[in-house]
Amino acid sequence: MSIKVSRHFVLRKLHQLTGILPLGIFLLEHFYTNSKALGSVSANRTGIQLFNEAVGDLQSLPYVLFVEVLGIFVPLIYHAVYGLVITYEGKPNAGSYDFGRNWLYVIQRVTGVILFVFITFHVLNFRFGLIPGLNTRSVAAHPDQAFQIVRGEFLNPTILFVYFVGIASTTFHFANGLWLFLIDWGIAVGRRTQRLVGYACGVVGVVLTAIGINAALAFIH
Amino acid sequence: MADTVRLKIKRQDGPDTSARWEEFEVPHRKGENLLTCLMDIQKNPVTADGKPTTPVVWESNCLEEVCGACTMVINGRVRQGCTALVDKIEQPIKVEPMTKFPVVRDLMVDRSRMFESLKKVHAWIDIDGTHDLGPGPRVAPDVQQTRYVLSTCMTCGCCLEACPQINPRSQFIGAAALNQVRLFNEHPSGALHKDVRLEAIMDDGGISDCGNAQNCVQVCPKNIPLTDSIAALYRETTWYGLFSWLKR
Repeated sequence: MSIKVSRHFVLRKLHQLTGILPLGIFLLEHFYTNSKALGSVSANRTGIQLFNEAVGDLQSLPYVLFVEVLGIFVPLIYHAVYGLVITYEGKPNAGSYDFGRNWLYVIQRVTGVILFVFITFHVLNFRFGLIPGLNTRSVAAHPDQAFQIVRGEFLNPTILFVYFVGIASTTFHFANGLWLFLIDWGIAVGRRTQRLVGYACGVVGVVLTAIGINAALAFIH
Repeated sequence: MADTVRLKIKRQDGPDTSARWEEFEVPHRKGENLLTCLMDIQKNPVTADGKPTTPVVWESNCLEEVCGACTMVINGRVRQGCTALVDKIEQPIKVEPMTKFPVVRDLMVDRSRMFESLKKVHAWIDIDGTHDLGPGPRVAPDVQQTRYVLSTCMTCGCCLEACPQINPRSQFIGAAALNQVRLFNEHPSGALHKDVRLEAIMDDGGISDCGNAQNCVQVCPKNIPLTDSIAALYRETTWYGLFSWLKR
């Protein structure tokens, strides 16, 4: 028999994979950099110094354009657009069949749509400084002012609320996505394994939400 | 419990006509199932407000939850009418046909798509001819035990009805057909066509259209571990997808 792997299968598998690698890994790196805004008592450095240095370091990475385009933008756009296609193909019924997993299915899609809007806004806002009336300075182009640009926006309660929703949606989508990935790639097969892996992913989600929110709050302290 | 049973039934005269609701009140019998009520309506097809109507059409056969013919949506949940005991469910009993299949008439639907899916995934074991092939290969008891429960699927359609991924915008074949792939791939003779089945479920509408809402395993009347079957096939197909093309 001739071996034929369907295009549909490859596209779906790539969607599942891009969510974890590189996007999930990038999310962890992002939260790590954000958390520098907390400052360091032992090194006697303020959050402003540490965060701005971290932004500058990232911008001076070798092949930074290559890494940003192929490592973040291409997978991000693919995951987002194909995710909308998948969302369109579903017809939620958690009202009649209110099982826990069914709700996770719905929330995964709702947060996905929220993230499509939020990340578009977030990237235009901080990476490119293209939101007239709010921010026209790109954080990436002004590492020395990075902290102040973020702080200036976060002092606006509406923007801070939008970011809280964005962060919580991201961490939920990632944690539940990790659980889905482990099933979809045939790693968590048995029912007990799926349940235990589910709890572990829940812990990952809660911890990441705390880290993300705490880092955001560090900008307005 | 009152001495009558109230029912609210979704009626539809044919595949292309619009649906309407009709209410009925039939005598109550101790320990009866929903199909008994439908038979009472058949004997006296008059609605609760006294208007004569046509008898409600439904399908049923075994009356012991092994054929799957009387699957319908009862009080919002998909299940078999034969095991829906009137004394144990809320009244008025709301009865609708399944929504994921074309309605033929009233509660009778056309489940052909499930049988088409079985053809698509090669859900059978090939034999070479009608001559005596001798004894089949030996099957280890634990494999027999795993396969037995998978084999109890009656193609009733509950798993498709409860699945959010089954709808006109998606081609997903559903849990029942995927479970059959595992059933036949686990059999030593069936395993000879393992790759044919794996490739079939890796195509459009196959396993990657599953959204892991896992409603199927919750509503399956036969308690088939459908999500275990799907997860086991995820492993097989991922492996096949990653490495099979390297053999070309």
